[in-house]
Amino acid sequence: MEMNDQAMESKYHSKLTGDTALVIVMLALLVCVEGFTAYRILSETWEIASGFFYLYIIFIGLIVSIETIGCLKVRESIKNHMFEFKYYD
Amino acid sequence: MSEHESASLVKTLRPFHVWALGVGIVLVGEYMGWNFTVAKGGILGSLLAMLVAGTMYVIIALCASELGSATKLAGGPYDWARLFVGPGAAASVGLAVYMEYIALEAADAIVVACIAQSIFPKLQVFPVTLLVIALLTFINYRGVVAALTLNFVLTMIAFIAILAFFFSTAFGLVDIHPEYLFQGALPNGMIGLFAALQFGPWFYLGIEGAAMCAEECKHPSRAVPLGQQAGMITLLIGAAMTLYMCSVLIPTDLLGVSVYPLFEAAQNSGIFIFVAALGLGTFLTCVASANGCVCDSSRSWFALSRDNYVSSWFSAVHPRYNTPYRAVIFTMPVAIGFAFSGFLDQVITFSIVSGLLCYVLIPFSLIRFRNLFPQTTSKVRPFVGPLQPYIAYFAIAIAITILSTLFWGYKYNLIFAFVFYGIAYFYFSHKHKKSNIENNWAEMGWPLPRGSENGKIGKEAIGIGDE
Repeated sequence: MEMNDQAMESKYHSKLTGDTALVIVMLALLVCVEGFTAYRILSETWEIASGFFYLYIIFIGLIVSIETIGCLKVRESIKNHMFEFKYYD
Repeated sequence: MSEHESASLVKTLRPFHVWALGVGIVLVGEYMGWNFTVAKGGILGSLLAMLVAGTMYVIIALCASELGSATKLAGGPYDWARLFVGPGAAASVGLAVYMEYIALEAADAIVVACIAQSIFPKLQVFPVTLLVIALLTFINYRGVVAALTLNFVLTMIAFIAILAFFFSTAFGLVDIHPEYLFQGALPNGMIGLFAALQFGPWFYLGIEGAAMCAEECKHPSRAVPLGQQAGMITLLIGAAMTLYMCSVLIPTDLLGVSVYPLFEAAQNSGIFIFVAALGLGTFLTCVASANGCVCDSSRSWFALSRDNYVSSWFSAVHPRYNTPYRAVIFTMPVAIGFAFSGFLDQVITFSIVSGLLCYVLIPFSLIRFRNLFPQTTSKVRPFVGPLQPYIAYFAIAIAITILSTLFWGYKYNLIFAFVFYGIAYFYFSHKHKKSNIENNWAEMGWPLPRGSENGKIGKEAIGIGDE
């Protein structure tokens, strides 16, 4: 019985790691792609955009920070409830 | 209640289905439509519109994740407004969601037919559009798992096509024209930056619909937040990639009026594999979007029907396939009517206005939810979104700002939408005031809301399953 519990716990933690890895990879891709696109566009148009480039920085910062905190909260929620709601059975 | 009506929706969906529903509906907006931001504000206007709308949608997705995983109901924004705001707002947002998705379905089906005709010139647009709508209705009638698994495959292929094209462009495998970025940076001056915002939602329009399959999820408290956030990140990545590729491969004056910008960018690259992949992607995203729209619009109509906002006849669930089959079939004549009304551009604008109305009411529902149920128990709120309610207020401010930009060019659509939803609000508020039916919180396993002892809360709408 105890062996079963341990196996299930290990399975749950491994699945949680899978969910976490998926989100981390996607967030990393998000930061790279948003940063790359904004950098290429702003650097090519700097003569025009230099007066209001901060608008872009503010909104990129908002997107990345809110989404990152949101994903951390999703992970925390899954971790807190995975046994209670039997997410990975 | 008949035997059919006592059946319930099947609970089998997983996070990847939620992702497929959300991204499947929206990805078409990255293959076409978003580029009108370039016509209004140039490349810099488009970039700002993408980021501002992206910020709003990140917040809306977090609100939808929290509300969807808490309520676990098929009506999505309609049910959240019904439970936490009131019957008038619920009916307005339920109709807005229905109109938003059914208009998109009609537009997608016509584009699929036009693409098919461009490949096989002997085909006629009208019968192919009918066939597409009928086929997708049948798939959704047979079962939600099959419909969303199909969406997953179609959407994944279309997204991989964007990824492959982007990395080839970024790593120099494709000849690009960085000078296009400067030439078309800001053609209409600073006012263009503001005007471009009205088309910013095209990059993400409809992602909130991912939470509408909560009632059919096996574990909604995991599937909805995980699927919705993964979907939102996918769209943010896709939007940035699309903007970059198109703006360095298509001159700005042509990009602003292009019908299929990603496909055109692939054609300009001159590499056959990308032309084929992006052409296929354009076709598949239209099919996936129409498919997801049938799913979401039928759930909204089903939820309205279950609570007697429209005829309860539509609330029947198929005893074998466990789908709201009457609501699903009813999407067909409405979509065909929209498709052949001759006012499709007006219908699509109405769809955007309807969506923006939802983006005001979804965060507002969350603010009310937090006020009424401050508890964070796993029954009431299994997923607790961050930085609330401050970011919800911020999303409302962005949605109202974008709505205000529609006065440039779409003043009458905006006025019509306000009148339409205003009438719906007062009509349904009046109708349900007379019925005096309370929410049944106990049936949801929830405590009484804060302030209910005063009798102010709960007289606004009928409860879950009261039908």
